Amino acid sequence: MTASAPARPAARGAAAPPRPPRRRAGRPGRRRPNVLAGAGAFAWLAVIGVPLYVLLVATFQRSEDYTAAGPLALPADPTLDNYARAIDNGILVFVANTLAVTAAVVAIVCILSATTAFAVVRSRGRWTTGVFRAFLLGLAIPAQAVVIPVYLIIVQLGLYDSLVAIVLPTAAFALPVCVLILTGSMRDISDELYEAMALDGAGSVRTFLRLVLPMSRPGLATAAVYSALQAWNGFLFPLVLTQSRDSRLITMGLFEFQGEYRVDVPGLLAAVVLSAVPILIAYLLARRSLVNGLMGVGGK
Amino acid sequence: MSAAPATARPAARPPARRGGAARGPRAGRPSALWTLPGLLFFGVFAALPMALVAYLSLTTWGGLGDPRFTGLDNWTRLAGDPVMHRAVVLSLVLTAATWAVQTPISLLLGVWAAGRQRTRAVLSAIFFLPLLLSSAAIALIWRSLLDPNFGPLAWIAPRVGAPDADLLGDPTGAFLVIIAVTAWQFIPLHTLLYQGGARQIPASLYEAAEIDGAGRWTAFRHITLPQLRNTITTSSVLMVVGALTYFDTVLILTGGGPGSDTTIVPFLMYEAGFERWEMGYASAIALTLVVAATAVSLVMVRVTGFGAMRSTREGM
Amino acid sequence: MTTPRVGAAGAIVLALLATGCGGGSADDRMHVWMYQDTLVVVQDAAVERFNADSDVQAVIDEVPGDTYEDRLRTAMGSSEQPDVFFNWGAGSIAPYAEQGMLTPLDDVFAEDPEFADAYIPSILAAGAIDGTQYGVPLRGTQPVILFYNRAVFEEAGAEPPETWEDLLDLVDLFTEEGVIPFALAGADPWTEQMWLQYLVDRLGGPEVFQRIADGDPEGWRDPVVLEAAEMVRDLVDRGAFGDNYASVSYTEGGASTLLSEGRAAMHLMGSWEYSTHLDQAPEFATEDLGYVAFPPLPGGEGDPANVAGNPTNFFSITADTPYPEEAVAFVKSTDDEEYVRDMIANGEVPVTVGAEELLSESPSPEFATFQYEMVRDAPNFQLSWDQALPPSVASPMTTEIERLFNGQSTPEEFVEALAALQ
Repeated sequence: MTASAPARPAARGAAAPPRPPRRRAGRPGRRRPNVLAGAGAFAWLAVIGVPLYVLLVATFQRSEDYTAAGPLALPADPTLDNYARAIDNGILVFVANTLAVTAAVVAIVCILSATTAFAVVRSRGRWTTGVFRAFLLGLAIPAQAVVIPVYLIIVQLGLYDSLVAIVLPTAAFALPVCVLILTGSMRDISDELYEAMALDGAGSVRTFLRLVLPMSRPGLATAAVYSALQAWNGFLFPLVLTQSRDSRLITMGLFEFQGEYRVDVPGLLAAVVLSAVPILIAYLLARRSLVNGLMGVGGK
Repeated sequence: MSAAPATARPAARPPARRGGAARGPRAGRPSALWTLPGLLFFGVFAALPMALVAYLSLTTWGGLGDPRFTGLDNWTRLAGDPVMHRAVVLSLVLTAATWAVQTPISLLLGVWAAGRQRTRAVLSAIFFLPLLLSSAAIALIWRSLLDPNFGPLAWIAPRVGAPDADLLGDPTGAFLVIIAVTAWQFIPLHTLLYQGGARQIPASLYEAAEIDGAGRWTAFRHITLPQLRNTITTSSVLMVVGALTYFDTVLILTGGGPGSDTTIVPFLMYEAGFERWEMGYASAIALTLVVAATAVSLVMVRVTGFGAMRSTREGM
Repeated sequence: MTTPRVGAAGAIVLALLATGCGGGSADDRMHVWMYQDTLVVVQDAAVERFNADSDVQAVIDEVPGDTYEDRLRTAMGSSEQPDVFFNWGAGSIAPYAEQGMLTPLDDVFAEDPEFADAYIPSILAAGAIDGTQYGVPLRGTQPVILFYNRAVFEEAGAEPPETWEDLLDLVDLFTEEGVIPFALAGADPWTEQMWLQYLVDRLGGPEVFQRIADGDPEGWRDPVVLEAAEMVRDLVDRGAFGDNYASVSYTEGGASTLLSEGRAAMHLMGSWEYSTHLDQAPEFATEDLGYVAFPPLPGGEGDPANVAGNPTNFFSITADTPYPEEAVAFVKSTDDEEYVRDMIANGEVPVTVGAEELLSESPSPEFATFQYEMVRDAPNFQLSWDQALPPSVASPMTTEIERLFNGQSTPEEFVEALAALQ
């Protein structure tokens, strides 16, 4: 699946910031290799790898053979029919819907959390401190808990069963974390730089656009990754706020395939694999930003 | 996020310069208005719903027509509802189990993966893969794998001498499956967090320990663990709040069953609201969930030290 | 991520959202909601005929079965209501009728006596709430029948059960043969509910459940309910459902496949099971699918001719539909000859009065006649419990049934738990 992918980042990792002392491998024979840890890691590899292998193999199997051959056997007669059926069932439309929703959520979250974080970091006064506290509190609100009133609000706005209905609350719930990420990021911008902008006579808008945004790129990347994953994996909001095929997202599509496919497990699993393709592509293209972005969610 | 090491971060606030150079620094400073769009958005779709949940918990409402105010009825019912009591216990057990299973594995894997050997890089790239799948996809995969008649489990179970293949139909089995599947899904994320955390630990600490003749285990206990304190806090809060709100996995894997033996609080809320159409009652459950999630996060932050948490937050 | 790119991304997003807004059903077509299963082909054809000579175009929205009622209710609470929707009559539409959200159809029937007379009256009645007709039957009748796999029975040299003793003997026989006696989709407790419905009815007659349906939870304490629960326990202990039933799903096809593959000998299921097999395993459906009525119980007071299941399904029309006339015209097409013929060709048994003459066109005239006579001769047709009760009771009730079947509660605890439901 990713056989070719790891080689590149690994090489890059080695070439990146030179930190020779950290490379324990480089230290001559003082340390034995950590056999125990290595064995543990390979055990975990099996835990992760075997189900994924079974998943992949099953998608190339004819559904008649699926139950008969046993899960570990390679398909005797590999076929792409399962993928064709998944596509026939409209999986690509659901993927497109999800991409649209994800793009919208990322854009809204990045813009709003950046402006908010900018004010929180640079503006003085109780108001912005209060706003920051409010967002801190917002961290503890699980989206599940408010799905009923969100449904009520969406219905009142006449947005039920539209993609917008999913975008709005999903973005709102990604905001607190992203505001926190970006305030952290923006606090790293040194005062000298702000002063230099000010001396140039830059107003807040120009400071924001010319200094703050470019300097917050790692933070923005993390916010983007975080909110994109929220949108991509969203389940409850699409479940409650949409129903028709036209506004179906990939998670819902998979959920409902479950009933449509009956015992056609290979077909269902092919749909699962297809649903991961866009993220897989993103992963292959931008593994470092994705990984660093996710590490950023945990802070330093 | 790796641009500036945490230690080198400048003080958050500039030195006081209120009097002099009045125009200068003011000019670049945003007014409080900058917070409005974000705040408004958050207010309408997160804060307002919270207020509505509180209100709805005092009403009887079936989703059609208008809510009818019924005072504390839902709350007294909630207090005496055995299903809710069970759901709370199940949620707490699930949360504790999630933490106990995921933390050690992620911590060890993360620290291991932080090493820069080639094998480690290759394996961590594979460890990452479940993160590419949504919870719905993961739950479906496991449901298919664990199908008692048509899944690989049906093939394996008799070969390892299991009496039946009905793992998801057994109360304990289904609960364990949820713990295992969510671990499979979320350990990669937490591994990544620990990997990032471990890479921030200055190598000089280990070198010093090595000179002192400390073994691997001593170094891990006295350097790695204390240095990862912030990461442990962040990861634990994410894990615990996450476990309190698992929903997709339960809905797809077990539907709260068998019976109601995997009906955890968020699922009970969904069931009450969108299957039984007791929206008022569901709102009371929801509010309980919010209070619990907030309390748990606060307690964890307190226990591990608010200061540490704060700097972690700021570092994000 | 520099500013112009953010701006560009924003513009793209807005454009996408603008198109996304039309994602709902807010278009100028008449939306007909159907429960997704293999029978929908009949309604598909009806929509096609309707669209051929109508300015308003109808479209079928198939909603997956598991979530049909939940989806319907969320949509009914919004502005995106369907125009016409599938339902089970009775309890399933009562909340909407109470809120005035449905179009009363009394006038439609009054103005067209021929249409009114087209349906078997006892079945039409389930589509009325408090004397007002809100539903038009759209499907065949759906009694619950004991299906069996003829090939499996032949191999074991067995005959389908005529009495309860036969049934218990068969359980032992098939268990010995390594065949699951009864396929059961325990993850969908409404399939388990079918067993209880028949047991309670055969033991105590329809009055027992009628009392509960009338709103008296004490009705669950009727000794008959306990006895039925104990019989369930006994069946489970004898291995009547095998070991793996608890996580088998009906909507995913698990139980039906067990029967058609011969891994299970029998399956108690609604008559739609026939169409399901016709679609999924046609050879099995025409060659080996056998069927009998649920056997009488020793000493039972209920009439063994009684039937449980769904008398039929109904179309109802929402009150706010912009196409009231078209919607009525569409639902009235359900007694057209083409419609009835499609149903029969799909293995259904229509609930229109003259249908028996057409039954010979069924893919299995024998099965169609069996069903038709079964329903015609039944003194009582018990509507599925979970459809007869309001959702706030039906949903916990099915959970309790599931717990009973899983051995998570004893028959006594089962009765107590049900009696506590309000």
